[in-house]
Amino acid sequence: MKILVCIKQVVDPEKVEYNAQTKTIKRNAQYLMNNPADLSALEFALRIKDVYKDVHITTLSMGPAECESKIKELIEVGCDSCVLLSDKRLAGSDAYSTAYALAKAIEKLGNFDLILCGESSLDGETSIVPPQIAEYLNIPHIAFASNIKVLNIERIEVERKLKNLLFRFEVKLPALISVKKDSAFLRLPKLSFMIKALSYTPQILSVDDFENFDFDRVGAEGSKTSVDSFVEQSFEDVKCEIYDGIEDAQIECIADLVTRFL
Amino acid sequence: MEYFLSEEQKIIKKLAKRISDEYVSKVAIKYDKEGIFPKDILDLLAYTELTGVYIPKEYGGFGGGVMEMCLVVEELSRNCAGVAVSYAATALGAYPIILYGKEEQKKKYLPKIAKGELIAAFALTEADAGSDVSSIKTTAEKKGDYYILNGSKHWITNGGEADVYVVFAVTDKSKGPRGISAFIVEKGYEGFYCGKKEDKMGIRASSTTELIFEDCKVPKENLLGREGTGFIVAMKTFDRTRPGVAAMAVGIAQGAYEHAVRYAKERVQFGQPLSSFQAIQHMLADMYINIEAARAMLYSTCRMIDSGAKDFSKESSACKVFASDVAMKVTTDAVQIMGGNGYVKDYPVEKMMRDAKVTQIFEGANQIQRNIIASEIIKEY
Ligand SMILES: Cc1cc2nc3c(=O)[nH]c(=O)nc-3n(C[C@H](O)[C@H](O)[C@H](O)COP(=O)(O)OP(=O)(O)OC[C@H]3O[C@@H](n4cnc5c(N)ncnc54)[C@H](O)[C@@H]3O)c2cc1C
Repeated sequence: MKILVCIKQVVDPEKVEYNAQTKTIKRNAQYLMNNPADLSALEFALRIKDVYKDVHITTLSMGPAECESKIKELIEVGCDSCVLLSDKRLAGSDAYSTAYALAKAIEKLGNFDLILCGESSLDGETSIVPPQIAEYLNIPHIAFASNIKVLNIERIEVERKLKNLLFRFEVKLPALISVKKDSAFLRLPKLSFMIKALSYTPQILSVDDFENFDFDRVGAEGSKTSVDSFVEQSFEDVKCEIYDGIEDAQIECIADLVTRFL
Repeated sequence: MEYFLSEEQKIIKKLAKRISDEYVSKVAIKYDKEGIFPKDILDLLAYTELTGVYIPKEYGGFGGGVMEMCLVVEELSRNCAGVAVSYAATALGAYPIILYGKEEQKKKYLPKIAKGELIAAFALTEADAGSDVSSIKTTAEKKGDYYILNGSKHWITNGGEADVYVVFAVTDKSKGPRGISAFIVEKGYEGFYCGKKEDKMGIRASSTTELIFEDCKVPKENLLGREGTGFIVAMKTFDRTRPGVAAMAVGIAQGAYEHAVRYAKERVQFGQPLSSFQAIQHMLADMYINIEAARAMLYSTCRMIDSGAKDFSKESSACKVFASDVAMKVTTDAVQIMGGNGYVKDYPVEKMMRDAKVTQIFEGANQIQRNIIASEIIKEY
């Protein structure tokens, strides 16, 4: 079984540095992280590999060369191969353009039985890319999965939770599934995989590798949406009130606060 | 400080640190309080393949040596020495097999130890034979295809939890230390029981028990090395595992130091943080100096052993003594810096001070180590 997992390298919100003047975010390697929801998807792929023999996991990322260091972390947990689609002509692509470029890469890389994505990326939060890739590839897709079970070589079962409802789907492969963030936590790396990652370089693709590539669909120009403005969130309005005094008085204050905000 | 570890050693340290910080730190206080054996952490170490770092490649390990084992022990000890010693005691049980095992014995046990499927232990000490190892009384009498073991062992780390035990017993009383032999005893062998579990001051997550042998039948092929070589097996093993105790000590000291520095920067008295008082600054500086010196001595001893050097008892003992004395001093000072908060169980340094104490006692008390060092020095000149 061939599984492909789409994994984006996003800016780590804990470390992000923002330039208010140029309205840009620094995308140096040390600020990057693998998108958490995508790592949940990867964990499902690894669980399938734990159970079934002959499962090959490829990851696909699109981004600048800086992403390479984070891609190594995917080898450390047990991915078989990693691909980075890196091309300046793709810079500024929105969800629509990204989905097109990723779909072209998936077509180029070959026949995958299962394609997994995270539900959304931390820096975009559109949730559009996975279903759009599936549309381009003309395969069935299920979004926001909370669990995935392989039934046999041809079929998988997918669960999706919605408050107190549980949907259970069965879908014929090939299919694309987007996975809910936190539905699975990525496992620890293994020493032997970490050693392998030391000398591993991902396969680099550029748009020149694709046939019939429509340049008008990608980059800032080809995108359907554009970022209007970046507004830095201010925390100045957050007030901190200190309640001094003996314990009973403090408890009273807290009780009062709770009732006020309920 | 940059210790010029190889890329692979850096990875081992990084992985062990991650497990220590993300998992061990979360359970350290609870496991210490309730005396819970850290099987879940050992399973994580097995999954990540850290259980096999010191096992030769041909037996399914990573092929590292004492250095690799020590890097794991050091990082685990930064958060809980009880967890670290549960890991290290398997190395103490495995080393006699690595050093003196016959091919069949190595093939049978080492791959499973490397994978973390087997936990091991080392059983030498008895009620009346602590520092005076050669006075052990447990006997092993050969009868047909078996050795029959009788006697009991005290203070055995991983007791009750281990699957394989390297047990030392007297096969010929008339020969003194040359009449001691080593055996591989498996859990479940007829006549082999686990006795009382010790209620310890520190390293409380680890299991320390008595072992009882009542006409215990051990197949003759489980003799390790030759009859009468048990004392050498024990001593050569200790030469390689004493740095493990030093690593534990360095890790405990490092953990306590990190807590003390953070606390000193946050705690305000007389209108300024504790870290602004020179009396405190000098204590922190001394902690740093001593820890780095202990670590440098530990790593160079490990490198010497792993290079294939022949005699390193003196170096191995010296790093154990120095590091364990540093751990005791640093943890005591960390408690001092943290004042009342250092003395209560809400902060981890109280536990670290208790944990540090045993590093001066086990695998040969520091007085005995000094005896070893002195006799080597006197031989040399
Ligand atoms: C938590 C724990 C775990 C242990 N795990 C194991 C294990 O897995 N396997 C195992 O075989 N053993 C184990 N031991 C035993 C340990 O190695 C012994 O406790 C240690 O060697 C000291 O022996 P003792 O306790 O009998 O002290 P004693 O030998 O009675 O010594 C008491 C004190 O007298 C001093 N002393 C003794 N002889 C001399 C001398 N000649 N010169 C100067 N001073 C001397 C010692 O330094 C010590 O401070 C463990 C012990 C502990 C506490």
